[in-house]
Amino acid sequence: MSETTLLQRLHAGIRLDDELVIDDHGHMGPWYNFHIPGDGTPESMIENMDLIGINTCIVAPHIAIGPDTGEGNRQAVEAHLKYPDRLLPYITINPRRPLAETEAEIAHYHELLGGIKGFKFHSSCHLATCDHVGYGPAYDYAGEHQIPILSHVWDGPARDGKSFLTRQAAANPNVAFLHAHSGNSWETIRKLTAEAKLNPNVYLDLAGSGLPYGGLEYMVAQIGANRILLGTDLPFIDCRPQFGRLLAARISDEDKRMIMGLNAKRLFKL
Amino acid sequence: MSSSAGGDPIRFMDCHCHVGSFEGMEEPHFTEVEDLLAEMKHLGISDALVTHRWASRWSPRLGNEKLEEIIAPYANLYPCYVALPPTTGEIAPPAEFARAVRANHGAVRVCPSDHQWRLTDWCAGELLDALEAESIPVLVAMQQTSWDDIAGTLERHAGLSIIVLDTSYRINRSIYPLFARYPTLRLEIHSYQIPWGIEDVTERFGPERLVFGTGLPESDGGGPISQVMYSRLPGEQKALIAGGNLRRMLGIEEEPTR
Repeated sequence: MSETTLLQRLHAGIRLDDELVIDDHGHMGPWYNFHIPGDGTPESMIENMDLIGINTCIVAPHIAIGPDTGEGNRQAVEAHLKYPDRLLPYITINPRRPLAETEAEIAHYHELLGGIKGFKFHSSCHLATCDHVGYGPAYDYAGEHQIPILSHVWDGPARDGKSFLTRQAAANPNVAFLHAHSGNSWETIRKLTAEAKLNPNVYLDLAGSGLPYGGLEYMVAQIGANRILLGTDLPFIDCRPQFGRLLAARISDEDKRMIMGLNAKRLFKL
Repeated sequence: MSSSAGGDPIRFMDCHCHVGSFEGMEEPHFTEVEDLLAEMKHLGISDALVTHRWASRWSPRLGNEKLEEIIAPYANLYPCYVALPPTTGEIAPPAEFARAVRANHGAVRVCPSDHQWRLTDWCAGELLDALEAESIPVLVAMQQTSWDDIAGTLERHAGLSIIVLDTSYRINRSIYPLFARYPTLRLEIHSYQIPWGIEDVTERFGPERLVFGTGLPESDGGGPISQVMYSRLPGEQKALIAGGNLRRMLGIEEEPTR
């Protein structure tokens, strides 16, 4: 009997309960800018994940990337403690907070969680760039413990013809630099696949609302499926569209499995 | 065609796809009808309502003619003509134009912003009257109009069906009051990616308000297929969103007798 392909499962709407599916880019809770049915509660997110069969979503609550990072980190950890296998917390860094506060928070969650799984930067929302001194403790921890950093963008000053991301990735070879929303437009795809080619520790996350036709296939051809991670942006965005794009892509099922879970398992040491 | 686990097959019909070359083409983008058909087969889409880029980006009249010519051999492709207000005489007079569209089970796409006209009665009232009289769906991308213009149009043309394309996941606070007020307003789903959007709209306003579309060849079709196939809606509601609503609007399928 021939195995059902992942594309055939999409056609039939069959959940992927027997696959490893990890969403590397989740948020949580409501957001001021628009209505989210279900209000982005942990329960609503898990129900949405269950439509497809997402095992685990790594989350940075909206309030963490917005007005109150400390409260957001508390919410993320609380949700993780309630649903330990389904929701994992990013510790979000707002570089504008006092350094001592950030250092104390990292130490606290390191102790509480037995180690932090990953950091989330959202320099755009926090009105900073990724070279801000306030990110320093997170860079140090990530390098020491070899954990990934997911950033909305990797902005910062270019020097000697090299982007900030290239310089950071070279200076921190133990850190996986995850670039969020890498597959949202052709401009972004071209720019970031070039960055990833230069830097083996740069990875591309798919989260976002854009689904440019053929873009995922191009990314795989340029840098390989082992450098791309499924992200959905749930509950900013429903988890189904990016997932459908992945299942329908003209790449092998082996590549799809790397993107939908195996890469995240490796990087986040799950 | 996609299968619904344990139920009747889901027959997808895409309301939002193009053929023809365009300015922002990337290497994977396709332009030919045969390539569109191959992509539809890959995705499990049975039928499509197609617009030609010539009509939206060059000449509505010549693009519409080109579209008719190239889809004529294919029974599963239906024309989506680009319309203009009548005063300049660039396309056939509204009543004649609308009758021809209906005879071909077609629809109309309008681009008021790109084409420099207004979705108002002083500019397009005669066209909108004719489309309303022939029960022709009018498709409009959100970048081509405004919520106010859509509300004004539906206020004046209560029988006109408008399908809004290319929206976003941030529209509920604007479109929900319009859904509540105008029963002929519909939303194409590929860019409507808010969590539980399909389910929430269906629960509040009914599955008739949602129409499957892909945005091909610029946008990937796997996303909207997934939105429907992995929905928790019952099979008959999925089938309406996937294609049933559009087929009824085009007169391809009859409304079931109640």
